[in-house]
Amino acid sequence: MPLIRKSGGDTRKPDADPVSVLTALVNGNPDERWAAARAAVHVTGGVDALETALASEVDPRVREAIFTSLIRIGSAQSVNAIIPLLKLDDASIRTGALDALRAMPAAVRERLPELLNDRDSDVRILSCEIVRGLPGEEATSILCTLLAHEPEANVCAAAIEVLSEVGGADAIPDLDRCAARFPGISFLSFAIKIARDRILTQLTDKHV
Amino acid sequence: MSEFPALTEDEFRKLCEFLYRRTGMIFTETKRYYVERRVVERMVATSADSFSSYFTRLRANLGGEIEQFVNAFTVNETYFYREDHQLKCLTSDLLAQRILDRKHGDAIRIWSVPCSTGEEPYSIAMWLLENWSLVDNYEIEIVGSDIDTKVLEIAREGIFGKRALMRLTPEIITTYFSQLDEFRWQIIEDLRDSVRLGPVNIVEQNETRPYGQFDVIFCRNVLIYFDDASRRIAAENLYENLLPGGFICLGHAESMSRISPLFEVARFADAIVYQRPFNRGTHVA
Amino acid sequence: MSPDKKTVLVVDDSNLVRLYYRSILETAGFHIEEALNGLEALEKLLTTPADLLIVDVNMPQMDGFTFLTVLRRKEVPISGIPALVTSTEASQQDFDAARHAGANFYLVKPLDEKTLVEFASMLTGGAA
Repeated sequence: MPLIRKSGGDTRKPDADPVSVLTALVNGNPDERWAAARAAVHVTGGVDALETALASEVDPRVREAIFTSLIRIGSAQSVNAIIPLLKLDDASIRTGALDALRAMPAAVRERLPELLNDRDSDVRILSCEIVRGLPGEEATSILCTLLAHEPEANVCAAAIEVLSEVGGADAIPDLDRCAARFPGISFLSFAIKIARDRILTQLTDKHV
Repeated sequence: MSEFPALTEDEFRKLCEFLYRRTGMIFTETKRYYVERRVVERMVATSADSFSSYFTRLRANLGGEIEQFVNAFTVNETYFYREDHQLKCLTSDLLAQRILDRKHGDAIRIWSVPCSTGEEPYSIAMWLLENWSLVDNYEIEIVGSDIDTKVLEIAREGIFGKRALMRLTPEIITTYFSQLDEFRWQIIEDLRDSVRLGPVNIVEQNETRPYGQFDVIFCRNVLIYFDDASRRIAAENLYENLLPGGFICLGHAESMSRISPLFEVARFADAIVYQRPFNRGTHVA
Repeated sequence: MSPDKKTVLVVDDSNLVRLYYRSILETAGFHIEEALNGLEALEKLLTTPADLLIVDVNMPQMDGFTFLTVLRRKEVPISGIPALVTSTEASQQDFDAARHAGANFYLVKPLDEKTLVEFASMLTGGAA
């Protein structure tokens, strides 16, 4: 039989010397930065180093690893490190940041009201996606509050998108008012109709 | 069960969208009947009176419903030569690429994770012995790992019932099994000795790292159970466990497109698989 | 799917946007395929050829610009599929980024029915 026989495994232990990790995170080659980004979770001062590294990292895979480590740490500081990236011009960093925030719903929750009121409409759009991860009632309530005053059609569209999955009956009046505010935008009319139909089907079904 | 109406088009769409976002499973219109059957099964099991009340339960993950639902797609599917299109792809394309820079006698390493009760790693071993003409030219190491040490014990024993053998020809059964009694067959010792089995939690880097790097990883139907954070960690671990240019095969409904941007998708005649790029850092995503 | 219909791959993470484009473009005689992000689009294009891509910018796992950059480096004919980028951002910077990534046109969302059909027809030489 040509297949090789069982043997013992490689028993290397991960390298967690704090100084070398933090140095490699900034000065290493991409492989070293990747390894350091992953090891930084276990190192004191890791979150500061990750935050600094995030600002200058150019390799998308290393950036992924930095985001993952910040998610694992999951602290308010992790969230603070990521939020400013939602406003960057580089779409890949922006969506990487959103993916990271979506993966840490508990940590980002208390920042949501502020994010949904950000002056940058794209931050508000991206933040609606974070709301998708919350329980249905809470998500409905947050998004309806937004819909009531949101001036930008694309932000409303993002909120309606999430409501079409999570929304309850409470959302119907706000959806109708939103439709009335943007009568000329055919996409919004379409989106509101679908969201309404989905919510109403749920209600009818429940009373059968 | 036939009293339940099929899902409306919009309900099917909403369900698929949710499953994709939450688990990375992709179902197209062609799988609709298959998905609907599972939905009806789960609606009966949870006493849901409508799709929307079931969907509410699923979305809120009440009683671990997401896991239950995903289970409905994966249980009772552990048998030899399952998803043999991936095994065909292994011998017709993946290994051909992996040996381009190898010499006679070099190692080729394959990892089956999670391997459950061993059908997959033993299938890989039998398939290579039967279908890969170059099998004698390389030192092939097959490793099977699972988080559950109880299933690993069963895998180590290598005793299987008739159902697990249903896809095997009588010749293969005679070659690689010895029949213990009317209902049980045991993998021959020679083959059992050629598959290394060990525990692993793929979300723990300290546990995955000692397994070293592989040419091909079979990682079917496990990432779908994870939340976003665990999935990212697992993807990064698996990335490290692949040699540059190495391949990872997922389950039939799984797509890496919802799981991680670390890998590149590759299409071969028999399967779509994912590849760790050769040069990290030179590619945009 | 009728073999003489032109196929449009809509790459957008919004389910309602994809549904909207589908309803309009199907009526106009196109065949529609969908992907939720750039990675899924790259995967889909391996098995399903497309005559036009309508691509959103902000999407999970792989954004629209990265998707187009990767696509344009692939082999023909897949690298040459015309792409209409749609975005919620109207700044010159985004317009430049789209052009740099290989977009043929850049439109600011939300799109209306007339614009959508006009551009889809123009970039594919008509629905059929």
